[in-house]
Amino acid sequence: MSLQMIVNGLVNAALIAPPAMAFSLLFGILRFPNFAIGGYITVGAFAAYTLNVALGLPLPLAAAGAMAFTALVVWGAHVIVFRPMEGQSAITLLVVSIAVTLILENVIRLIYSADVRGFDIPLQRPWKVFGARITPEQVEIIVWSLVIGVMLHLLLAHTRIGRAMRAVADNPTLAAIRGVNAARVTAFTTALCGALFGLTGVFAGLDLVIEPLVGWNLTIPIFAAAILGGIGSPYGAILGAVLVGLAEEATILVLPSTYKIAVGFVIIAVLLLVRPQGLFGTAEIKK
Amino acid sequence: MPETVLSVADLSSGYGKAVICQDVSLALCAGQITCIIGPNGAGKSTLLKTIAGVVRPISGSVRITGREIAGLPASVIARSGMAYVPQEANVFRQLTTHENLTMGAWTDPGRAADACARVYAMFPDLEPLRRVRAGNLSGGQRQMVAFGMAMMLEPRVLLLDEPSAGLSPLMVRQMFDIVRRVNGDGVAILMVEQNAIEGLRIAHRGVVMAAGRVALEGSAESLLTSSDVSELYLGTRA
Repeated sequence: MSLQMIVNGLVNAALIAPPAMAFSLLFGILRFPNFAIGGYITVGAFAAYTLNVALGLPLPLAAAGAMAFTALVVWGAHVIVFRPMEGQSAITLLVVSIAVTLILENVIRLIYSADVRGFDIPLQRPWKVFGARITPEQVEIIVWSLVIGVMLHLLLAHTRIGRAMRAVADNPTLAAIRGVNAARVTAFTTALCGALFGLTGVFAGLDLVIEPLVGWNLTIPIFAAAILGGIGSPYGAILGAVLVGLAEEATILVLPSTYKIAVGFVIIAVLLLVRPQGLFGTAEIKK
Repeated sequence: MPETVLSVADLSSGYGKAVICQDVSLALCAGQITCIIGPNGAGKSTLLKTIAGVVRPISGSVRITGREIAGLPASVIARSGMAYVPQEANVFRQLTTHENLTMGAWTDPGRAADACARVYAMFPDLEPLRRVRAGNLSGGQRQMVAFGMAMMLEPRVLLLDEPSAGLSPLMVRQMFDIVRRVNGDGVAILMVEQNAIEGLRIAHRGVVMAAGRVALEGSAESLLTSSDVSELYLGTRA
């Protein structure tokens, strides 16, 4: 494996780690795999595109706006779609979440057409590090991904709301018995995860292209990273993202790059057969 | 007659269409222990869950120091000065001992630090385990964490669902000692106990439940010596 492939793999990882953590956090609170994340990421990408290209805002500002807008969309989807369906099985909610993605994606296609777009930013030369090429945008993605990982850790481990998120994910009934208002924790979690999906949309627009399918194409690697890390375990999701990112690049050694997308599927299939709790998840010991 | 801190009147509850508790009435006086005994499936645990707001009541009333709480969500009842310790899943397994205790002061975080110190004084065994995840503790240690969490904000009323379940005989004795000590500090306790004889021995009053109803109620002493109760529920012949 060349250095270039490792660099590419780490960029992949940095792109999917934040949404994989968000996916895990959402799963912990809502107890179903939310495949609407594809739609949410696409919303983030197009929101940033609109602010950046149509309104001429600088990209950091557009990114902040996209995070806020996507947070609102994800929270709205929870209130309008998922909350009324509380108590339905995880499979039902999963199917509904795919429908949400299809709706968001097609609304975007209706407004923006299926054309491929990009942000209005100056083209920059890639840097060369020991012969491997990396663009300044890719470095930014990696740095921000690390910053987000640290911030999420601080939030979960050292703040009141973070402790509540872990408590509700761990044992919602006991959390209620101790006075935690689960509705408020859920609202916060959906908005926080929404902001992360929005940011992922911005990153995807920087590293890939902006088109209605941008989020959908990331869904499988994100899901693979989340379950590889043990679903519901946000720290595992980071390691899962690194493994998926590198694995995607490594397949190019043996298969044409068109098969890269299949890596996520293979990882998911093997994992569900061999170790359903994920590499780092703990199997619940029932008494 | 001491003040009534918890009064339950004609309370019915259940899951879906299955009614588990039917027209249950009981009263808990300040500073007293009431022990609920009865065969499996009598609705003892469901009664505690209903009082704590985990199971919604169908009808009836629950009052804490005169204030009606029936039908309120558990997270609101948590602020009423009553603390409930479920029988199972009564700790946050992924959280450390210390974080678990802190969750016990959720409704009044300003008191968390002092309260933790008090609970560690009550359970010195927990202090060295403060950074250990509750899921990795032994059954007895977990029970102490669960109990300590409930004691954080010095409740006036404590609901205990089988505090001795799954514990070794030595731990059972310790647990009952702690229950008695907490009660000695003035906390009124409503306790469900499978270990009926031990439970009634530390209680002031006893309630026998059968098929979702209160079958018998009286002083703990009278229930312990009643031949009916011994034959039916204590498994001994007086």
